[in-house]
Amino acid sequence: MIYKNKIRTVWMLGLVFLAISCDSYLDVNENPNNPEDAPISGLMINSTYESANNVYRVGDITSNYVQYLASPNPGSSSDTMEPVSNSNTWFNLYNVMTDLSVLIDKAEEEGAGHYQGAAQVLMALNLGTGVDIFGDIPFSESFNFETVTPKYDPDVELYGNVMTLLNEGIANLQGETTAELGDDDFIYGGDIDKWIAFANMLKARYMIHLKDVQGYSAAEVLTAVENGFQSNDNNAKVNFFEQSVNPWFNVARDNADLLLGGWISEQLIQALDGTSYDAVDPRLKLMVGTTDDGEFVGTENGAGRGNAPEQGARSTLIEDQYYTSQTAPILIATYSEQKFIEAEAAFAVDKARSYQAYLDGITAHMNMLEVPQDEIDAYLANPQVGMGEAAFTIDAIFKEKWIALFLHPEAWNDARRYDYQYKDMTLPANLNSGLNGEYIRRLPYPDSETSRNGQNVPSVTLLDRIFWDAE
Amino acid sequence: MKSLTLILFVLLYSYNSYGQTITGNVTDASDAPLPGVTIVIGGTTNGTTTDFDGNYSIVANSGDVLQFSYIGMQSKEVTVGSSNLINVILQEDSEQLDEVIVTAFGISQEKKSLGYAAQNIDADAITKTKQTNLVSALQGQVAGVQITNSGGAPGQSSRIIIRGINSLDPSADNQPLFVVDGVPIDNSTIESGNNDTPRGLTNRAADINPADVESMSVLKGAAATALYGVRAANGAVIITTKRGKSGRVSINLNTSVGFDELNSLPKLQKEYGQGFSGEYDPESFWPSWGAPISEVAQTVPGHKYQDNWNRAFNTGLQTDNSLSVSGGGENATFYGSFGRLDQKGIIPFSDWARTTAKLSGTVKVSEKFDFSGSINYSNSGGNRVPHDRFMERMMYWSETTDVRDYINADGTMKTYGNTNPIYDARFSTYEDDVNRMIGNLNFNYSPTDWLTLSYRLGTDYYSDSRTKITPGPKGIVGEVPLSSTGTIEETRINSKDITSNFYLTLKKQWNDDLNTTLRLGNDVFQRKFDRVSLRGEDFVIPDFYNVNVTRQGFLGQDKSIRRLVGFYGDLMVNYKEYLFLNVTGRNDISSTLPKDNNSFFYPSVNLGYVFSEHLELPSWFTFGKLRGSWAQVGKDTNPHVLGITYVAPDVFPLDGQVGFSRNSSFGDPELKPELTTSIEFGTQLSFFESRLDLDVTYYKSNAVDQIIPVPISDGTGFSQYITNAGEIQNSGIEVVLGGDIIKNEDFQWTATANVSMNNNEIKAIREGIDEIVVGDQFGYAGSSVTMKLIRGEAFGNLYGTSYERFGADENNIFLDSELPIVIGDDGFPVTGGNQLILGNAVPKWFGGLRNELTYKNFELSVLVDFRTGLEQYNQFDNFLSAFGKPEYSLARNDFRVFEGVLADGTPNTQEVWLGQGVGPDGRDYGAGYWRNAYRGVSENFVQDASFIKLRNISLAYNLSDKMLDRIPFKSLRISLAANNIILYSPWDGFDPESFSAGAGGNAVGFTGLGFPGTQSYFLTFNFGL
Repeated sequence: MIYKNKIRTVWMLGLVFLAISCDSYLDVNENPNNPEDAPISGLMINSTYESANNVYRVGDITSNYVQYLASPNPGSSSDTMEPVSNSNTWFNLYNVMTDLSVLIDKAEEEGAGHYQGAAQVLMALNLGTGVDIFGDIPFSESFNFETVTPKYDPDVELYGNVMTLLNEGIANLQGETTAELGDDDFIYGGDIDKWIAFANMLKARYMIHLKDVQGYSAAEVLTAVENGFQSNDNNAKVNFFEQSVNPWFNVARDNADLLLGGWISEQLIQALDGTSYDAVDPRLKLMVGTTDDGEFVGTENGAGRGNAPEQGARSTLIEDQYYTSQTAPILIATYSEQKFIEAEAAFAVDKARSYQAYLDGITAHMNMLEVPQDEIDAYLANPQVGMGEAAFTIDAIFKEKWIALFLHPEAWNDARRYDYQYKDMTLPANLNSGLNGEYIRRLPYPDSETSRNGQNVPSVTLLDRIFWDAE
Repeated sequence: MKSLTLILFVLLYSYNSYGQTITGNVTDASDAPLPGVTIVIGGTTNGTTTDFDGNYSIVANSGDVLQFSYIGMQSKEVTVGSSNLINVILQEDSEQLDEVIVTAFGISQEKKSLGYAAQNIDADAITKTKQTNLVSALQGQVAGVQITNSGGAPGQSSRIIIRGINSLDPSADNQPLFVVDGVPIDNSTIESGNNDTPRGLTNRAADINPADVESMSVLKGAAATALYGVRAANGAVIITTKRGKSGRVSINLNTSVGFDELNSLPKLQKEYGQGFSGEYDPESFWPSWGAPISEVAQTVPGHKYQDNWNRAFNTGLQTDNSLSVSGGGENATFYGSFGRLDQKGIIPFSDWARTTAKLSGTVKVSEKFDFSGSINYSNSGGNRVPHDRFMERMMYWSETTDVRDYINADGTMKTYGNTNPIYDARFSTYEDDVNRMIGNLNFNYSPTDWLTLSYRLGTDYYSDSRTKITPGPKGIVGEVPLSSTGTIEETRINSKDITSNFYLTLKKQWNDDLNTTLRLGNDVFQRKFDRVSLRGEDFVIPDFYNVNVTRQGFLGQDKSIRRLVGFYGDLMVNYKEYLFLNVTGRNDISSTLPKDNNSFFYPSVNLGYVFSEHLELPSWFTFGKLRGSWAQVGKDTNPHVLGITYVAPDVFPLDGQVGFSRNSSFGDPELKPELTTSIEFGTQLSFFESRLDLDVTYYKSNAVDQIIPVPISDGTGFSQYITNAGEIQNSGIEVVLGGDIIKNEDFQWTATANVSMNNNEIKAIREGIDEIVVGDQFGYAGSSVTMKLIRGEAFGNLYGTSYERFGADENNIFLDSELPIVIGDDGFPVTGGNQLILGNAVPKWFGGLRNELTYKNFELSVLVDFRTGLEQYNQFDNFLSAFGKPEYSLARNDFRVFEGVLADGTPNTQEVWLGQGVGPDGRDYGAGYWRNAYRGVSENFVQDASFIKLRNISLAYNLSDKMLDRIPFKSLRISLAANNIILYSPWDGFDPESFSAGAGGNAVGFTGLGFPGTQSYFLTFNFGL
């Protein structure tokens, strides 16, 4: 019996020993590939880079709606304003906002006020971009995993968040910091003054959206403009890299390789080649390519290329122009855009200032494209362009801003506020019959949301407007 | 294990001396002595065993009946007469062999004692198939086990699924655990990765030389595998390798040569050549929308249909040689082998080779202690041509330009504009080189007759070294390079498994009727994995391929470690040899789960009732058994998925900066283990001395708390939440029917058929989630096909576009192809807007039929297998139709009135032209019917992928003893075989048995543009010395 008991004791001891050693033996699940924490600098690098990419991603959707681009295929849903699911763009907007949310909290913890401020400005940019295309979106229940089905906040309230973020961002950028931005900032390389100007420029952009709704103040817009960009040198942009080329360059290169895309709308060609306006724009040849015969020929939106071959018979984006070189910048906000905001805000209160801002806006864009001075002068001297203060209309601002915002998503915000009233702009062929002969007013919610968060997704049609888009 | 049994016999049957001493010798049919044959005097417990030379001696009285028995041999009874010398020859018993099944931990068990279905495949049935991949050797042979070759490339992976898909996780491995001599090994397939074209890599079980395998048994339900724990939740394939036998040394030499050729080709048109809109253009991108070839040939000398689809492929060649030496003495045995396989595929420059060396041995130190060990080394790898791109480029290649004429004298590509597929296959190389060592050590110690302590230590270590090269421009004017920069990528993979298993076996014979065996054990597993890759782009010197001499470098690393600790118990009760009860319990602790939930217990119970041993049955009723089991098995998750992490996206570093982003995947910190509960009932019946055998099984399994990467709203800050979120159910029936149809001296005919049916249903997916996408594949003009899982439906549904149907129910998620097609105002069929279910990629029924015929020295073996009730997306056909190559696209200048109805339900009467450009009727048809309409409708390409295949036929001749006397061989066998011949399939295209995901993937319904299937012919010589 004693022997048996001994065996039992040894056995039990063995089990206990095994159980204890198990605990540490099995404690090997910490991720060896991805750290559980990231430095604020690393988050800033990715956020600046991806914010620029988001401008491209949204611009890629809206450029067909504002008829910069046209599909080579007939009835293409991008041209005909069909409900297209933009799950990838939605994901990327939230992916950057998630990182920014983490960055803001961590920077605050570490007392890195400049990181916090810059992150708030970028958060305002991405949030504003999301609201302008989708309207109500999740935000107040986002990022912290409170729920797997976050509710949608009203667009008008989210604009309040955008303004708060920009104001707090400016305050933080002006305040103390324990860490300085530097090469980890792909937009300004750590220049805080430019960040503050950028925040003000964005305030002007989001306030001018409100022109036709309650709470708009021209004076506030003009104040923001005054604190905003002073020249093209202040432009918010990310220059691309040889290892990671500009996405519009990719479109141009793919098109050359017969993966068709980046075809120019007939609308844009005709607006610049003297057809719609009695002025030939010197920027046309710097922005788009020609046919094999050296001509500028656009493609009608929604109609496709008809019998034209895949190459050589239409204008498309081509490699190595200002917008389409390998290392070309993606422009987030420009001095010329700000000048046109100034022109629009001042139009009713100070027309002389408005007219001058309009001319400055054209010049700024032309300088950016390096248009020779004599061609700039000639263009501004054309009575269709430099019509004088008396004959100057709001239409001129929208037309020139549309050209200066080439490929930028802000153009669609303008187009909707302006009811697409650009001269000679017509509805695309094969228009989505659900639109009853009207232009698209918003994007549908993406399939990823309707399948994952269906109960919260608001029911909307493509004719339901964003709150600032007054009828 | 055999030796252990012997010891027990020796201990159990005490020697009792009386009467006369009988001596003698026991041999097999070939006169080889049989050591260890049990000899018992009938009606007593007195007995003995033969020694190493087959000699025995026993004391018995005249009139006693001596019973000689030996595993694998027919028992024999001899009545003691006046002679003191009794020599006995025992005949091999193939039936008897089947009766022993190797189950968990390599324990041989009598099949009749099992409370669950299990099937055994012996060495003969494995080698006859001539499959180089051990997984493929099981094809068509085991009920409930579906094997699918992923393609016809040398060394390409083969997928095995037992009783249906058990996981809702699109990336889960649903394949069973592979166990060699009691130790689990790695059978993963590591494909070439997301930033490369498919290459068709190897599943690691193919590193084993099939010639070294003694038997394979497939353990199907959770009941059969409860003892292997979480890793065997999808079942287990138990492989027993050959061991030396006591007796003289035997040497075996196998040599085989085989030829492969394409087994099926789509029906193609040969009339129209290069160009578009019916116009000839020798530089056109379009290979087959041009003018009739015969018309152009009148003005262009040498212009003709080149038959590229037959000429592009080589005749594949494989040579397989293996040599084994085995033998042993009374207390030790050994087995050693070498093997070498060389394979050249039908796509030029594709090859694969395998070299194996194996050494194993057993040593009986004393009656109480024995040990054994084995070590298996293999080296495998080859050049994995970019087969998907090869086939894609074949699509684009002009049918009037010789595809074989691919290279210029200066080494640049010879082309009219498009990339030549053979040039790409030659220079875009991807070579893998796997060195692998699988080893195990086993110790058994029996201090008393009722207790055995066993320990097994196993290791499986491999390094996989891969080099991918895509050349850049050579700098020669006018060249068409394969890449504008060139790439080299070096990948080094190291994987190391260690398995340790200690268990006690306690046996107790309570009385004559009741016998119990209890096992208690501990099992520890660890896998360490590390993958490092180094990529260089833009070669500084053309044709000089080294990462150091490139202009841009990229790095990547992926590491993981997984550990499992298990404790288990297994009680077997044998009551009067007719009632067998087996109860098991296991507790696993996994490193991959949250600490509070990482320990989980699961039990099983099964019962076998051999009523033929219990009840009086008519004599024709040879054997009858009923069995039932209930079992649970837990399942953990992948390592390193829990909580929040940050990733550095691949694009970095940019200008020396590395960005971070929060990982969009979030692993539930409260994650619980999955739990699968399965039940199984079955019966095994045998009539007329095995002239007719029947085995029927019904099973049902429910896997709950499935760990799924659930897609969630990006608005949460994550896109994927890994949590317990669903339930999947599989149920089905398996039938095995067979028998010795003819059994006489000269002629034997044995047939075995198996048929399986599986029903799968997704019972639940977490609230708020409508669907889980398993995979998708591109189709032109919106015809892409997606595999999605939704609640209440089966795994494997394929969604895509279809023709609009008149009167279709808007709520019906399935396409109702019986309804009339709606024809539009333009006279062409209308494509509907909704994605509908067009088919299901998992076969409803599958099975096989094996016939073995022996006439004197000739043996004929025929294995036919089939699958039915499944559809696949035929991407080949989609591409062919877009490029005007299928036979049906000959109808390109016809007028047609499409059958169907107009929107108002009236029949369509409008005649339209199918060609390109302006038709004879003056109407502009643009790119024409085939490009405008046909290629854009998924319905046209989701096709019935059933087949009946002659999986293997082999005819062998064994040299007779007379002839052998004149040559220095103990045996000589010559055989001819053919493999993988499609007997019937409604599928028009390459072999329907192919899919682009590889063995590790679950998106099986997509052919991709994969390596086409082949049929093979072999000549084999088998020498015994």
